[in-house]
Amino acid sequence: MTNKEFDNILNDCLERLLVKGESLEQCLERYPAQAAELKPLLETALAAREAAAIQPRPDFKAQASYQFRSALEERAAGKSRSSWGWFPRWATVVAIVLVLVLGGGGGTVAAADSSMPGSPLYPVKLATEQVRLTLTLSQMGKARLCAELADERVAEIAYMADKGDAEQVVIITRRLEDKLDLLVVLVGGSEGANGVLLAPPPAATAPPTTAPPPAEGPMPQKGWGGIDESAQNGTQALRDRVAYDAANNQALLNEALDKAPERAREALRRAIVVSEDGYEEVLEALEQS
Amino acid sequence: MQDEESLVRRAQQNDQEAFAQLYEEHFDRIYRYIALKIGDAVEAEDLTQQVFLNSLRSISSFRWKGRPFSAWLYRIAHNQVVDYLRKKKRSDLPLEETLASGSDDPQRDAERRLDIEQVLAAAQKLTEAQREVISLRFTSELSIAQVAEVMGKSQGAVKALQHSGIVALRRALMVTENDE
Repeated sequence: MTNKEFDNILNDCLERLLVKGESLEQCLERYPAQAAELKPLLETALAAREAAAIQPRPDFKAQASYQFRSALEERAAGKSRSSWGWFPRWATVVAIVLVLVLGGGGGTVAAADSSMPGSPLYPVKLATEQVRLTLTLSQMGKARLCAELADERVAEIAYMADKGDAEQVVIITRRLEDKLDLLVVLVGGSEGANGVLLAPPPAATAPPTTAPPPAEGPMPQKGWGGIDESAQNGTQALRDRVAYDAANNQALLNEALDKAPERAREALRRAIVVSEDGYEEVLEALEQS
Repeated sequence: MQDEESLVRRAQQNDQEAFAQLYEEHFDRIYRYIALKIGDAVEAEDLTQQVFLNSLRSISSFRWKGRPFSAWLYRIAHNQVVDYLRKKKRSDLPLEETLASGSDDPQRDAERRLDIEQVLAAAQKLTEAQREVISLRFTSELSIAQVAEVMGKSQGAVKALQHSGIVALRRALMVTENDE
């Protein structure tokens, strides 16, 4: 008898025992030639199932259920919240003036772009990003911008972790999560490779290079101007960019974890998980798109 | 399957009751899956809750392709476990008084707790793939076909892992008994 045949017999017995409720003896009678070998295995499987049929504590389960329902309600409430609600009104006004009236150029925008959390110009930076997202019409354009902004958030997380500011790391991690979630939605509802290829890249949105060079493999150029889109469609270019960011940002955050003060490490570990899971979901969504 | 698809679609459209129903249906199985994988019933509670909070955040990215919704949840749970194990060295913390007892008999509960501890400890001796199969088959009660989908393997490969996993588990349990 081959291993495969025995695997099938064992599985048949397990189905009968665990699903159909047959007794051990009934199963063994079906396969007398293999009974001696099957018996200890089936006993082990039965014991494992019985012993592992554990339940979470009832009080924990009740608490978890309450927490989950609260999260559901928050999510429902969050859907109706304006995306502009996060920024101070003055920062929004400044951002709109900078982007619309001055065309997104000038020293103030550059200064805001490179500002970090805690800086007076940081709210302008966030508001400017929101203006750009709003003004970018194509889904692929928005997705590209989202990828750049997620990359920027990771750089900010590493920077604030280095400063030992756990609170800011937590806040920026939420923003990173929001950007990656939005990216998944944008990619999932993309209008197809041919359509997005025609979408112009967002102007003047190239972020500062924040990630270290990859250990191996080609490095897609930061920003979008240098990508040969005639040979590579927009979705593929985005996939390359996200794959690159996923690897490099993970390396950047792990490197930051080695250097960060103890007080910021827990928050940074959470950020690493969010980054890893988020980028993985984006890549999955890109594969399916 | 049709009902589940409809439930998932409603959850994606922000139907709170639909998502709450999915939560109730899958919570215990995901918990058992995680508990066996990490060998720690207390940590498994928090990780299970995190799996559902993560699923809530990313439900919009779920695409129905005829695969059960549970396959997606187990994928999230798997990632959560991998991350947990990477961050923390596996501990052999006792289960203490954390397991819900099923009876009013303290002695029976104590014996049962010992059984659980033995199985959880023995499961840590298995390879990652074997533990995954044993966990999905015997604690989450998925069929071979469902386990194959969750793991992205053929049914034949899952059956082979099931066989070798049970053999390894038996061996590990025998070693545990001999040590006592």
